[in-house]
Amino acid sequence: MAILSVEGVTFAYQTEPVVEAVDLRLDPGEFVALVGPNGSGKSTLVRLVLGLLRPQRGVVRLFGQDPADLDDRARLGYVPQRPALAAGLTATVEDIVTAGQLARRGWWRRADREAVDRALEAVGLSDLRRERVASLSGGQQQRTFIARALAGEPELLVLDEPIAGVDAEAQRRFRESLVHLVERGAAVLLVSHELGAVAEALDRVVVLKRSVRFDGPPSELAAAGVSLGVHAEDLPLWLEGIR
Amino acid sequence: MPLPLPWPFEREFMQLALLAGVLVGLSAPLIGTFVVQRRMSLLGDGIGHLAFTGVAVGLLLEVWPVWSALLVAVAGALGIERLRAQGRASGDLALALFFYGGIAGGVVISGKAGALDANLFAYLFGSILTVTRGELLAVAVLSGAVIAAVAIGGRLLFAVVVDEEWARVAGLPVGVLNGVLAVLTATAVVAAMRVVGILLIAALMVLPVASAQVLARSQRGTLWWASGIGVGSAVVGLVAARQWDLAPGGTIVLVALVVFLVVSQLDARRRLGVVARAVRAVRRGPVDAPDPVLAGTIHADHRHTHEPDPHAHEVHR
Repeated sequence: MAILSVEGVTFAYQTEPVVEAVDLRLDPGEFVALVGPNGSGKSTLVRLVLGLLRPQRGVVRLFGQDPADLDDRARLGYVPQRPALAAGLTATVEDIVTAGQLARRGWWRRADREAVDRALEAVGLSDLRRERVASLSGGQQQRTFIARALAGEPELLVLDEPIAGVDAEAQRRFRESLVHLVERGAAVLLVSHELGAVAEALDRVVVLKRSVRFDGPPSELAAAGVSLGVHAEDLPLWLEGIR
Repeated sequence: MPLPLPWPFEREFMQLALLAGVLVGLSAPLIGTFVVQRRMSLLGDGIGHLAFTGVAVGLLLEVWPVWSALLVAVAGALGIERLRAQGRASGDLALALFFYGGIAGGVVISGKAGALDANLFAYLFGSILTVTRGELLAVAVLSGAVIAAVAIGGRLLFAVVVDEEWARVAGLPVGVLNGVLAVLTATAVVAAMRVVGILLIAALMVLPVASAQVLARSQRGTLWWASGIGVGSAVVGLVAARQWDLAPGGTIVLVALVVFLVVSQLDARRRLGVVARAVRAVRRGPVDAPDPVLAGTIHADHRHTHEPDPHAHEVHR
């Protein structure tokens, strides 16, 4: 069974559709990138997938259910576009990552320390676990939020622009942690307008510009003359050439 | 019968005041921590003003003002939360409407009740030294509810105030938790009403938290420091008020303010120290930078070229 299936989904905030007749499918163990330029509808599609928006046409199924009514939310992991932290937020990296266990274990049970340790290890933040999140760099904060999603040990991980502004070393570490998750049978949907070091680990790339313009392995996309940033560090993805 | 305690707590009224002060000093900063982290520091003020209307209603209807204040404050807090959730309280205007409505309503209704007198002052500015056993019981029940709720559901409230959208995706009952936070804030306001007064309630929710944010690193540490400073301010304020015959509500808040001023000076010095270390490190070259965290950040964030990171040059504490 597909972990995620999107069939003929259309959504408009006002009259002009932001996403139109989109089809997308993710199976267990698949690592898929959803790419597209700014304003291509990526974030809207993510919100539809997460159940934060409802499609006006078409059907979204997450683990075979309507995303808004998903029984077991712990199966779904989410890394939002860099959240705005309250300036004086006094919370350690560990505080934030431990919160990622709430969906899986509930508030009445103690957090699973080992899962938190594994998540911190995966993003390379074990040494900074007792640091204040607000005092970290943007890249380190982003990795904190990725670790929060990993701590819930999800079966589908959705990441919205997680590597924007993250340096190459952090990107490599990030890729490794995602590959590790995929090897365990989880699916990853990575939303980005650039892929950087992650490109080489992908199973499929989906190019979105209001509708799906391409869905296939990265090698085919490269054959179409589109750079995915495999060749150089942080090379941006120029999608304007895609018709 | 008063307990055999030493001066200044040898008299029964001081012992009742001490208990009330400790309970409120504990509960107001606890819930204040979440309110401040949500960037709604003025919420306590807004609800306090509504509680004033509630007190006036109680005086008019001749019911115990604590209960009428609780009723109006809870209803108002839920109203403010509703506006916030709909994105309409983002400006200060919505809160301002509650402020003015609360005070104007309170003045008009208490005028109607013929209660615009010193009696009302006990609620406006607090009157901890005249707290009765019955009132202490009410303070204990209200504060106890706040403390218990934070102890049980603090992790959930924390997850929601940090990142509401994530919490929604994770399946946490975000709407319910926001409502709970609003109701707990109203409860803490009413509990603190007789101790520091309606006009100063928010100070006890915000000042100890502001100090704690300097001193603590973790969420748990913030809660401990904030409630510790809240209790300390209440006790020291009471002693000072007894010694020099000062208004206790105002004295308690002034103590909390002095603590914050001292703590923020420490923080400023610490920041200067960090900046000085960073400058020395850059001069010496990055290899022997003394602060591994800081040095790591400088290296890590120099390399990426797109989307310059707004946090990259943030000063480390």
